[in-house]
Amino acid sequence: MAAEYAIELRNINKSFGSVAANKNINLKVRQGEILALLGENGSGKTTLMNMLSGIYKPDSGEILVDGKIVSVNSPEDAKKLGIGMVHQHFKLVDIFSAADNIWLGAEETTDKSAKGKLSQIFLRNKRFTEIEKTAEKFGFQIDAKKLVKNMSVSEKQTLEIIKVLYYGAKTIILDEPTAVLTVQEIEKLFEILRKMKAQGHSVIIISHKLNEVLAISDRVAILRKGEYIGTVNTSETDELQLTELMMGKKADLNIRRSKVEKKQPLLEIRDLTVKNDEGAVAIDHVNFYVRGGEMLGVAGIAGCGQKELCEAMAGLRKIESGRMIHEGESIVGLPPQKIIEKGISMSFIPEDRLGMGLAPSLSITDNMILKKYKQNHLNPFVDRKTARKDAQEVIAELEVVTPSTEIPVRRLSGGNVQKVLLGREIKADPNVLITAYPVRGLDIHSSYTIYNILDDLKQKGVGILFVGEDLDVLMALCDKIMVLCHGKIMGVVHANKTTKEQLGLMMTGALDLTESDNGKPVGIAKDSNIKEGVQ
Amino acid sequence: MSKVKDPFVRIVKRDKIHPLLKVLFYCIAILAALTVGGVLLIAIGVNPLVLYKDMFTIGMLGSRFAYKSVEGLITIFVPLLITSLALSLSFKMRFWNIGGEGQFIIGALAAATVALKFGESMSSFSLLLLMFLSAMLAAGIFGGFVALLNVRFKTNETLMTLMLNYIALYLLRFFGETQAPWNFYLSDESVRPVFQKFAETAYMPTISIGKFSLNISFLFAVAICVGVYFYLKKTKHGYEISVVGDSANTAKYAGMNVKKIIVRTMFFSAALIGLAGGFYVSGAKVLSTSVTNNVGWTGIIVAWLSKLNTFAIFGVSLLISIMQYGAQAASTQFPIIDSNFADLLQGIILFFVLAADFFIRFKLVFRKSAKKQGGKAA
Repeated sequence: MAAEYAIELRNINKSFGSVAANKNINLKVRQGEILALLGENGSGKTTLMNMLSGIYKPDSGEILVDGKIVSVNSPEDAKKLGIGMVHQHFKLVDIFSAADNIWLGAEETTDKSAKGKLSQIFLRNKRFTEIEKTAEKFGFQIDAKKLVKNMSVSEKQTLEIIKVLYYGAKTIILDEPTAVLTVQEIEKLFEILRKMKAQGHSVIIISHKLNEVLAISDRVAILRKGEYIGTVNTSETDELQLTELMMGKKADLNIRRSKVEKKQPLLEIRDLTVKNDEGAVAIDHVNFYVRGGEMLGVAGIAGCGQKELCEAMAGLRKIESGRMIHEGESIVGLPPQKIIEKGISMSFIPEDRLGMGLAPSLSITDNMILKKYKQNHLNPFVDRKTARKDAQEVIAELEVVTPSTEIPVRRLSGGNVQKVLLGREIKADPNVLITAYPVRGLDIHSSYTIYNILDDLKQKGVGILFVGEDLDVLMALCDKIMVLCHGKIMGVVHANKTTKEQLGLMMTGALDLTESDNGKPVGIAKDSNIKEGVQ
Repeated sequence: MSKVKDPFVRIVKRDKIHPLLKVLFYCIAILAALTVGGVLLIAIGVNPLVLYKDMFTIGMLGSRFAYKSVEGLITIFVPLLITSLALSLSFKMRFWNIGGEGQFIIGALAAATVALKFGESMSSFSLLLLMFLSAMLAAGIFGGFVALLNVRFKTNETLMTLMLNYIALYLLRFFGETQAPWNFYLSDESVRPVFQKFAETAYMPTISIGKFSLNISFLFAVAICVGVYFYLKKTKHGYEISVVGDSANTAKYAGMNVKKIIVRTMFFSAALIGLAGGFYVSGAKVLSTSVTNNVGWTGIIVAWLSKLNTFAIFGVSLLISIMQYGAQAASTQFPIIDSNFADLLQGIILFFVLAADFFIRFKLVFRKSAKKQGGKAA
């Protein structure tokens, strides 16, 4: 290749309505390098890459591939130009095999050897071996006949990468690829990326996780609020400088963990078994407890029972067996409303962020009263006056960016949506807060705001169950960490005495600390409210 | 700029639109629809201006019996308004009740049953009260049953309500065509099967203003309109409906009894439609197999055109009633035109209003102006 740059973006502008997502962006990607695109939520990373992959069209500006000005009007164009993107939400057909998912978009562009029309009409059995061969060429192991629905998240991601490589991509864009992976899987992914680089591919990886950016990239390009800030060589920078570039100001990267005096166990779970929607056991004879003023982290690979556990404790899911004791009283079988009234607050941020906990088309005000609109049974009307006051307070305290309290929640950005949700839960003045993925997809600044809010609550004596995905955060923020693997507890460890490697091994089930030598049963408090032998 | 090929025209989402501009778009849409209708009219040799004049004044101009036209208009406006309002309740919950026809018929049938059975033996006030209560109850159960099946067995409410429309219709026809000693719905005096007229006690009272007599169902309809507005906007029930409609998962999470809310709302929705049916037969003084005048279908259009906004429903159902009644009135002048023309025009208007909706939400950016914008930004 003669051109020094695989991709060059010049003066790219893109607006949605009056919001400028990208302002005059210039970006260069060298041949055979890994470029990290770093920026907070809403800084325009994904928008920029979507223009490169033909999903959006820039309002103005030029895109150069291998030094030539090109026009990318559709993903099909991008494919022809050798640009492939692995989206955050995988674009795969669940009920198809790996090979068929690749085949789906392949015939036109790559299958030049196709003999006549027939091969395009009929699916040949050869396709499985062909695809496996291609995968091997790039250094992947893949079972081409495996259905996507039976694949793990990591396998799906690998399949997406093979797909874009098979389509002949020279430049591969990955949008937040590590968000759904475990530590071990991330290491595997980075291995793959390095291999691709060695073969001459250019890789753009979108991220807002500094440690990963530093670990994998050659150079880092930074966006802030839609503007291009600059590009630095990874070897010449560090976390502090990157944060400063990304946020525009100096930041303290230490997560605060207050020391709070231990209190009585507030919520105790004994021998809990819960089934998932398909009827399989999702939580398998689990024991644990949360004290007041304590934050218990829950670590585990996505989908290993976290959701079912949270739902069971909120009264949203029937339990098969076991006990759930809140301040000495059983909450098993209580309707959700009663559990809310007892001061147990549960907020679960699902992958799509809006699925549970908020009504997206309703205003912030209306979402504020979601859990307490029923108070004062005699009044048939909804008390929006108090709700509006609550909404204003949450907006002020949590720095929610919104034009007014009457804006539908879905029009807010992801970070603000989550602040509204968490703000409401705090306003309800809970004594037990169960929160799953509260910082999912949030940028550094918003995440730290939320960590501090949680720590403040802990100081006030609230018992917190924090279901998280980022092990660094769990280790820095929580007091103890409970590790789940396929619905079983692998052990409860002190957050400041464990390592990421240990947690990673427990998450995959390779290390089980429940059968530790000292014979102390895991997850049962010494000063339990539950008297043994008393049912 | 460059060799980059821009598409000739792009669709860009509007950020905000001035309310007046919005109204302007809708007016343009209606004018455009009338123009297309006008072209059709010219093609069959009718002067559209004259026809439209007759239609939109519902034949009142220069008529000594103008008050009769208003009375006629109200007879078709009231059922349409109440039905559309009722449908907006279930649509707001994203529960697709397309069974308005059937629920209307059941309501009418129940009211007629009471009127024919007890017409002679009760005072007018208590008879009417009983008629309307039974109309609401019967239709409410008829519709609530579908909701019950939906929450219990996850049946498809769209299919169920649709099928029940035909069951109700053929039930009505059965009573209207079967001559038998038990069939008290039919008149004894006629040889052919004809529905029996109600006793005078079952007639909807009217208020006389000069020659004009106002059917009091109109006042009820206006009251229902205001009531539905408050119900949806201010009450806890209304709040629950919007949350369930927006996200059933969130509703469950907030501790709402989603099943109860669905059944209750559907019951109210169907009961109101049944009430409209009761009002109608009490005003018409007799049953008929075409008792619904298609309000169950037209109501769906009204509810959607109004975006489920309660007061817009009032305006839109008035407009559609004027068109329907006006077309009838105009057809006395132009034998070639009948009331089907109103339906045709209604369809054309619907299309144009949907197009206006598109232009309210999006704007088109042409190649030239896109370049200009880019230049400004750079």
